[in-house]
Amino acid sequence: MAAVGPPRDYDVLVVGAGVGGMESALSLGDMGFKVLVAEKEPSVGGRMILLSKVFPTLDCASCISTPKMAAVNNHPNVRTLVYSEIDDITPRPEGGYLVHLTRKPTFVDPAKCTGCALCEPACTVAVPDEFNYDLAARHAAHIAFPQAVPKKAVITRTGTSPCSFTCPAGVKPHGYISLVRAGRYDQAFRQHLEDAPLVGVLSRACYAPCEDQCTRGELEGSVAIRGIKRFMADRYYAGHLVPEYGPPKERKGKRVAIVGSGPAGLAAAFVLGRSGYDVTILEAEAEAGGILRWGIPSYRLPKDVVARDIQNITALGVRIELNHRVASLTELKARGYDAVFVATGDKGGRKLAVPGEDLGGVVDAMDFLRSINSGHAPDFAGKKVVVIGGGNVAIDSARSALRLRASSVRMYCLESRAEMPAHPWEIREAEEEGIQITPSWGVGQLKGPAGKVDGVDLIRCTAVFDAERRFRPTFDRSVHEQVDADVVITAIGLAPNTAGFANEVELNRNGTLKVHPETLTTSVPGIFAGGDAVTGPSMIVTSIGQGKKAAFYIDRYLSGLTLDGLRYDDRLPVADRAAVAARARDGGSHLEPVPVLRRPAAARVGSFSEYEAGFSESEARDSARRCLDCGVCSECRECVAACPADAIDLGMRARHETVTVRSVALATGFSPTDARKKPAWGFGRFPNVINGPQMDRILAPTRPFNAVVRPSDGKVPANVAFVLCAGSRDEQVGNRLCSRVCCMYSMKQAQLLMGSIPTADVTIYYIDIRAFGKGYEEFFQQTKGMSVSFTKGKVSRIEETDDQDLLVHYEDIEGGGGPKVARHDLVVLATGLLPNQGAFRLFPEGAPEKDEHSYIREVDEELEPGKTSLDGVFVIGSATAVRDIPDTIVHSEAASAQIAAFLKRAEAKA
Amino acid sequence: MTGRKIGVVVCQCGGNISDYVDTEKVRAEAAKEGDVVSTQVQMFACSDAAQQAVIQEIREKKLDGIVVCSCSPKLHTATFRAMAERAGLNPYEYTQVNLREQCSWAHTHDRAAATEKGIRLVRAGIAKTALSRPLEKMRVETLPQALVIGAGIAGLRSALALSDLGISVHLIERADRPGGQVRRWGTLFPNDKAGKDLIEDLVRRVHERDNIQLYLGTELVERSGRVGAFSVKVRAPTGDLISLDVGAIVVATGFEPYTPAAGEFGYGLDGVLTLPELKELLAATPGPLVYRGRPVRSIAYVYCVGSRQPAEGGTQRTYCSRYCCSATSHLATVVTGLDPAVHQFHLFRDVRTYGKYEALYERALKGGSVFLRYSEEDLPTVVREDGGLVVRIHDRLLAGEEVEIRPDLVVLVTGMIPRANDDLVRNLKLPIGPDGFFREVHVKLRPVETVVDGVYIVGTAQGPKNVAESVATALASVSKAGALLLKGYVDLDPLVARVDPTLCEWCGECQTACPYGAIDEVEYGDRHIAQVNAVLCKGEGACVPACPKAAISVQGYTNEQITSMIDALAKEVA
Repeated sequence: MAAVGPPRDYDVLVVGAGVGGMESALSLGDMGFKVLVAEKEPSVGGRMILLSKVFPTLDCASCISTPKMAAVNNHPNVRTLVYSEIDDITPRPEGGYLVHLTRKPTFVDPAKCTGCALCEPACTVAVPDEFNYDLAARHAAHIAFPQAVPKKAVITRTGTSPCSFTCPAGVKPHGYISLVRAGRYDQAFRQHLEDAPLVGVLSRACYAPCEDQCTRGELEGSVAIRGIKRFMADRYYAGHLVPEYGPPKERKGKRVAIVGSGPAGLAAAFVLGRSGYDVTILEAEAEAGGILRWGIPSYRLPKDVVARDIQNITALGVRIELNHRVASLTELKARGYDAVFVATGDKGGRKLAVPGEDLGGVVDAMDFLRSINSGHAPDFAGKKVVVIGGGNVAIDSARSALRLRASSVRMYCLESRAEMPAHPWEIREAEEEGIQITPSWGVGQLKGPAGKVDGVDLIRCTAVFDAERRFRPTFDRSVHEQVDADVVITAIGLAPNTAGFANEVELNRNGTLKVHPETLTTSVPGIFAGGDAVTGPSMIVTSIGQGKKAAFYIDRYLSGLTLDGLRYDDRLPVADRAAVAARARDGGSHLEPVPVLRRPAAARVGSFSEYEAGFSESEARDSARRCLDCGVCSECRECVAACPADAIDLGMRARHETVTVRSVALATGFSPTDARKKPAWGFGRFPNVINGPQMDRILAPTRPFNAVVRPSDGKVPANVAFVLCAGSRDEQVGNRLCSRVCCMYSMKQAQLLMGSIPTADVTIYYIDIRAFGKGYEEFFQQTKGMSVSFTKGKVSRIEETDDQDLLVHYEDIEGGGGPKVARHDLVVLATGLLPNQGAFRLFPEGAPEKDEHSYIREVDEELEPGKTSLDGVFVIGSATAVRDIPDTIVHSEAASAQIAAFLKRAEAKA
Repeated sequence: MTGRKIGVVVCQCGGNISDYVDTEKVRAEAAKEGDVVSTQVQMFACSDAAQQAVIQEIREKKLDGIVVCSCSPKLHTATFRAMAERAGLNPYEYTQVNLREQCSWAHTHDRAAATEKGIRLVRAGIAKTALSRPLEKMRVETLPQALVIGAGIAGLRSALALSDLGISVHLIERADRPGGQVRRWGTLFPNDKAGKDLIEDLVRRVHERDNIQLYLGTELVERSGRVGAFSVKVRAPTGDLISLDVGAIVVATGFEPYTPAAGEFGYGLDGVLTLPELKELLAATPGPLVYRGRPVRSIAYVYCVGSRQPAEGGTQRTYCSRYCCSATSHLATVVTGLDPAVHQFHLFRDVRTYGKYEALYERALKGGSVFLRYSEEDLPTVVREDGGLVVRIHDRLLAGEEVEIRPDLVVLVTGMIPRANDDLVRNLKLPIGPDGFFREVHVKLRPVETVVDGVYIVGTAQGPKNVAESVATALASVSKAGALLLKGYVDLDPLVARVDPTLCEWCGECQTACPYGAIDEVEYGDRHIAQVNAVLCKGEGACVPACPKAAISVQGYTNEQITSMIDALAKEVA
């Protein structure tokens, strides 16, 4: 993320493009100064543009704001940066300030976006709409509000969702989950296909590291990501017996050989085939799929699913030559292949290296599983089977042996139970099926007369790893045991299938192929390698990731582009799980997991047929609804497809700029008070207790409900209460000051409400009516004249009735002072304004002074409006004391005059 | 059909128009008009995105006229003229049709009729545009000099700020010393600064400036010229008239404190003072408060005297004077500071210590001040009985119970009222609001500007304000004057009257009708005819109906255009 362009010079930096910032920028621009405006939101306009009408003249907030918004965006002397944050402002020795700022990525090219908003309905993620003060939802892909300037879409992305971030294959679970949630199942499948072709395989056999990372796991339990995937894969395959696409029209005219048709080879073939390369997979076996076809038992992964997945690759024109064992890699290049990808995977099991290993009845797990998957399963009826090993393959072997009618299956492994490489759920399922697992044992020797095994001598394993976590088991031979065995299956690890290439490319000491860790190039140019042959035994998704990465670099290699200094991984940093979980907890989200149904153990050991049931449509969607949208945008790419201007760019990243300015104007505005600070009022608990800004949205022309209704049931309110000083003049909520605007905005809202619902009863509970500005008292009298009733009294608490009306308990100060209760169907809390503390952290070398109320202090309030304790730093509007709109505008123009005077003086000195 | 290519934009104003007028129907009807080649409906025509869409349409369809049917031209004429200019269209080929104030808002009860009226209005706009001609703005020079009227705190501060920008200032003050009301006051809220100190500091700085000329005892007597180049005459104390040429005028003539009528809350009784009188008393008293030799042990303040009066009384003083609650709360703390034993009673209606001034109210309460609430229907009474003052109030906070107070002093918290400045108003043609104070163009869009370009109103001349607020408006006017004068020129609207020399026979009727003195009699060959001084002409058209020969018309509103608009309005809607 490098700085873009040379430093630019401005006379003034205006921080914040609310009404104050805009006014100042325009005034200074009109006076001929060069102005840079930085606004953190995607649009200029601040909070005023979100209002309905504004007191005391009841002008539309839009009518007043939009010309200024357009002007600030088009002024020849003003450059406006939206969606930009100031990182820091530091004084320069020669005067003025150095400013670092970050232009946050909108993921939409503003030059291409026309503001058509077609991305919004396409988007599958809904979040609370901050521009409607959370009254309604908006999409992750959105335009801030109808009058936004610039009117450009923004995609909210707070990071890569943990599930998508963690997948080594680059599959984006959040994307397809949000599509399933939206009922767009085929798109869900296609979105997955975009990232990895083996959708069916992964929906069964993936160990789903994504589910371990799911934030819902912090709450009621992870989202059943693999279950959702299986639903969408099964549904898609039922409707699409063959792929819906063919080979790409545009051909690269180059040939790539891929050695091996396991997950790595298939993934590479898919990516390269899609790019238009002529890809040939050379497979030694009689059928394609590698470990998927031959290794994984069909009760976990039915072979028709593998076959259908492979069609996703071959449909691209990828050829698979079966029974073709490659003897020489360099020869392949000689035969006209422009590049080679070696993905030969694992050869077979490692040896125990103990006496008796060659006895009859001792089999290697991979050979054993292959025999089953090739239709030559042995019959273990009545036999005692011992499985040596504690990993996935050992579990698969043990469970398969049971399905071959073994009388007993015992597993022994070096590791303690906690150290076992197998997943807890497979250990649990194996034990449910009756497999006896005994950890912390090593094999002393295999015994048996007449060349046939009949027992295993076990010795106690005291430790598997040494201090450096290297595999170096130690044994206590004084503790030993003997078990009977008719069959011994060894599953203690897999060796890479690379020996044949040892004299052509460099190998590591453990036999794996030596590659560049980023580009996967081997010692021979044009020959790349990946998958288990490089990494050693790993997960399917890891191999797919390797294949995709290799394809990326092979493409660059064949395009004659450099492979240096690149990073294939372009993910955003992972989203903050803790924050998402906390938000979900605070929001009261509680959704129990949807269980995946499995056949009971007794029923499933009878055959090799799949024992796990798929989700029904409703189960899948209910499960998908549990997703917390951790990174907000799900990367489902529906907006990419919907955008007619091709403007969406999910690869966009933050850009940094450094500018020098001669002065700074802080127009950082206010923060609204939080009505939750007074729990007795029920804000956040009772839907019909809303705050002032929300009421303004309900009354605005661009309102969320398109009518004046209360939130809980859409009923037109007939009896509305406004509670003034809800967040002001009250130590309890941390604001003992008066917020200045709430009396007036509440009376304005009351007037608009009466205009919209003439029959409504409106009561304003107040302490003092502060109608102090020009025309304000007259506005108050006008409000009284509209028969709004004013009750002097403090509201102590609010209760909700069964029909979601509200009982307002108040002290009737002028009616005798006693406590009273009134029933209303909507209560508006006139929340106040607090200082925005954001500006202080912008100055690492000393911030402008605060006043006793934490506003930016004006050093001479009477004579020098806007002047702060820092030379050349000015403050505008509510950042120094809350102000209404007319006063903010005057103060902004006053500050502009101060800034202009400062700049003229600086000019004169220079 | 004139062969013109006109575009029409119908704005919904986010529902303000479309809730009451069928905007789609209006658009469809507009599309049927002969010269119209493009129509569109926009949710907010003034939004940047909508403007971009219209600009694109103007360029693509090569439009030579554009009609935007939205709100009052007061609000958005400048917006859409600028838009037309950005599109490469002459800004005077743009017409605004007021579908909101003149249609939707006026006829919220009858959608069909409002829609029909809307169609007629739009047709008239199209008819006017069909006869529009490109006009060029008149660029005239501006003088980097300003006149500031009034050397109170706002005027002094304006003068300094103008001087900071390199604009020379003539600062005139009617009184024989600068400082206005603030000079007489002691400590001011909220920072306990002395009014006198503030003024002395400003006056000292004014004297230090080479480019500020202060004229005391001096009044404006005449103004002519136009924005950027006014000629004014001021009368010095000697009686001499001085001519000054200035580019802008800042009016900072301040307020008058309200003087209660005799007997109003006991005014006139011994011991009944107004707020400014108490302030002056405090400023003059070094130690604990003494009134006419008697120590003051208790004070009753009666708020809202002269402010917030019921409109039925026929008064202009319906407004709140804004500063008095905070000033009185602050004063109470000053009194407590001098002598904590003084009992203080505040007879108020609403305590309006807005914003941070709430802290003053809090301090007054903590200092022992007692607040009693009265209502405008039931006013407190102040009388003298048994040699002392007696105040009676029905306290609303005690369910209307009568409370009797016998204070040493009664302070009437009097508000601000506008100054009588008839000559100035006449000379500057300053508009006055319903409250009697000078009226700004728009409280939010142009808060210190007046309808007279280049003339600004600041401080309490515009309405009640405290010191900081007055100074803020003073500086705001400097921003505006700076934008006007620093460039060195100003572009004036060409929508001014023109005389057809072939028709004019000089009768002088137009000269009599013109309120701006913009018409001169000139020789034209062997005849005399009228000539319009374009920079003085405001284009308001008083001369047009006065001309017996129809020889004078206003550009952009020619007789032909007006006639065609009337025809279009009268045409039946199918």
